[in-house]
Amino acid sequence: MTRALKKNALEWTVFGIGLLLVLATLAYLIREAVTTGSSPPEIVVQLGTPRQVTHGFQVPVTVFNRGDKVAEHLSVVITLVAKTEREEAVLNIAFLPRQSKREGWVTFRGDPGNGTLETGPVVYASP
Amino acid sequence: MAGGLLFSLPLLYTGEVWWAGFTMEPPRQLAYLATTFLLLLGYNRYAGLHPDTGWTEVVIDSVEELGLGLLLSAFILYTLGRIGPGQHVDEILGSIVVQAMTIAIGVSVGTAQLGGGEADAGMVGTDKVTFGGELVLGCCGAVLFAANVAPTEEVVVLGADLSPLRLIAVTLISFSLSALILHYSDFRGADRWVRADSLGGMLRGTIVTYVVALAASAAILWLFGRLDGVGLTTIVGQTVVLGLPASLGASAGRLLLQ
Repeated sequence: MTRALKKNALEWTVFGIGLLLVLATLAYLIREAVTTGSSPPEIVVQLGTPRQVTHGFQVPVTVFNRGDKVAEHLSVVITLVAKTEREEAVLNIAFLPRQSKREGWVTFRGDPGNGTLETGPVVYASP
Repeated sequence: MAGGLLFSLPLLYTGEVWWAGFTMEPPRQLAYLATTFLLLLGYNRYAGLHPDTGWTEVVIDSVEELGLGLLLSAFILYTLGRIGPGQHVDEILGSIVVQAMTIAIGVSVGTAQLGGGEADAGMVGTDKVTFGGELVLGCCGAVLFAANVAPTEEVVVLGADLSPLRLIAVTLISFSLSALILHYSDFRGADRWVRADSLGGMLRGTIVTYVVALAASAAILWLFGRLDGVGLTTIVGQTVVLGLPASLGASAGRLLLQ
């Protein structure tokens, strides 16, 4: 013999919110499971405007993953090519989720205004 | 809620779990959600609630606990700066879902074990838990203990490094600890729930508990992607290594989660 449901207003409210959250999560995950492809990580690097700091010039770097898989142990090499010298900086990112971005900075001794900034190569693994 | 955090706080403070949130693909997250819901249904049916509880109330409570798990997970992850604006929905939701599952089971166990009032009564008054019920409780215990360890890098390292002889030793230790907890300890409920009249009965009970622990270990490792792309030896190694905490959880779960 089962007993009758005994719940107060607060318990029903918690249940209502819980149900809403669970259904919304389910709906989103099902949609993602159906629509997400299986393309490998596709890394796009975007450089921002350099800014002078105490010991050189700081360049903002935004790295996007346009693919459907996570990129792991990602390394982005950014090179400043000037007339007389060449400087290289490496930005390491532990994980870059699918369809996501990460921001970082690299610093050069020379002024990027007197040369050109080049990106690549980009190295990463897929977990 | 305090119970939920009590059991799942180690997970919330583990880097590998944050990363599992976005390395886990949506189908696997769905499987994780479904498995947790089934465990909650089982736990709420066989323990924690009043014995004459109907399935409607079991479902309502399970949804409530799952919702609380999602809410608490989001709140704590936001407070710890692990999720926030600027991140993709996939990344945010993945992190929340992975953490929420253990919190939800923790909320359920916490309400039953630490809560007062009616829930405190647990299954006192009932004479027998069915075999299926015992399996569910063992599984809940195994998941509660093993989920805190499964995502860590150390399980992979140990699973790949340990020699077959050492893995056999881990198996024997897990098995002996299960037997000790179930049949030779004075744990609450040991005499009542798992009393075995013969050596055969004792062995049977311990083997079943260890099998549940191994199955739970393998399932959790699969959910966290730890079995992807590795050889059979490493799969067995990892399962046996994780089987130790899982068997502790499964045996203690059979006694303490009632």
